[in-house]
Amino acid sequence: MIYLAAALFGGIVGLDGTAFPQAMISRPIVAGAIAGWIVGQPLEGAMIGAMLETFHLAILPIGAARYPESGTAAAAAAYAFAWANASNTAVSLLLALAFALVWERLTGGSVNVQRRVNEYVVALWGSTHTTGAVERRHLLAMSLDFARGAAVTMAGAGAGVLWLRVMDPIWNLGPGFAGGVIVAAAAGTAAAAIRVFGGWSARWKLFVAGLCAGLLFLLVR
Amino acid sequence: MMKTSIRLVMFLRSFAIQGSWNYRTLIGNGFAFAILPALREIYRDRSELEGGVARHTELFNSHPYLVGVALGAVSELEAQHADPRTIERFKSAVRSSLGSIGDSLVWAAWRPACALLGLTVVFAGAPWWAGPLVYLVAYNAGTLALRIWSFRIGFRHAQGVGAVLRRAHLDRVQHAAAGAGAFLLGVVLPLVLANGTGMPVSWPWIGAAIVAAVLGLRFGTAARTPILAAGAVVLILGLLFGLRP
Repeated sequence: MIYLAAALFGGIVGLDGTAFPQAMISRPIVAGAIAGWIVGQPLEGAMIGAMLETFHLAILPIGAARYPESGTAAAAAAYAFAWANASNTAVSLLLALAFALVWERLTGGSVNVQRRVNEYVVALWGSTHTTGAVERRHLLAMSLDFARGAAVTMAGAGAGVLWLRVMDPIWNLGPGFAGGVIVAAAAGTAAAAIRVFGGWSARWKLFVAGLCAGLLFLLVR
Repeated sequence: MMKTSIRLVMFLRSFAIQGSWNYRTLIGNGFAFAILPALREIYRDRSELEGGVARHTELFNSHPYLVGVALGAVSELEAQHADPRTIERFKSAVRSSLGSIGDSLVWAAWRPACALLGLTVVFAGAPWWAGPLVYLVAYNAGTLALRIWSFRIGFRHAQGVGAVLRRAHLDRVQHAAAGAGAFLLGVVLPLVLANGTGMPVSWPWIGAAIVAAVLGLRFGTAARTPILAAGAVVLILGLLFGLRP
């Protein structure tokens, strides 16, 4: 039953990315947390999702650009983390994140394939432009996208379990080292998003004001 | 004037406007899917209806949250039985501007700003569900308002919608959202350093993270791939030599 729920959620995440309804369930911060909740490890899923989100802040889905599909990868990594019974350390978290960063490239490729398939789907039923034909084509394309999302999420979960089971015992990193790599990568990739907001020269005052607010929060916490 | 029930169905269908996105017609089929309820109401004759549907399955593109502008305006033009060439010219005229306005407003400002808001909540140590929930609520409140507004102005102003879009000063909204994003980026960075993994991180790594952040701030998106590649190299070195500081 849990596998069915996991697959259905993967389908929803895949569908939300482009087809319907683009409510951002497909963002890693959301997908990772919900996927973790489905398999009983919401905290770890949320952390995987949050870290992936920081890695993707600067990636914009402009026009027909091809970009990694981080939502299904976050869900797959959260499932894999839980199903591999990974030790709850920064090392396992780092391994799950590394897997997600590779898997999202493959799932991004599957989005491209889906768009090619849609070219044929919208040409189905010949040149018929009855209202029913248009609706059937559209719903068929969406159903295929849902199936694609479920398939790549579950395949990713399987591959991720293998990756974690093999690598977790032999990956001889200290937890402090692994945590350091994650934090450094997250800080660097998140900071890169300043360009998205107009660049350093245009936004440095607001950025510094935010930095002071963040430091103040840490001091008074 | 289109019935409210038809507008509502069109509005709901517009959430699936990209359902059959493809490289040949982009959202052409999705546009036809969303405008169908209006066409069914306008064209009672089957051949006229099919002609209308065929016209709207052709290549079209728009930002998904602003497509209501085109859907509303085109529905009104169809209801007025405007010349199909006029409708086609109108669709061509709004296509690129709806895309670029939406890209800069939503993808490059609103979405990353809301994501940073959610990340702030996560890294501030809130319960696991709070960050994603804050993100979903904030993001969808803004985009739902944008979807509703775009539908309204499309139906109300039809061909004159271009002037309304210019007067709306969406660039100011984009500027404010981007400013909020820059502020939140400043808030998030120290929180990531302090509580990124929920586990203690040593000072040398905090130093490395600060250097990475400075590189990110200086070089922007060009720094992203090298930073992740450096992380991958460290991972491989860790496997080969068992780094354990």
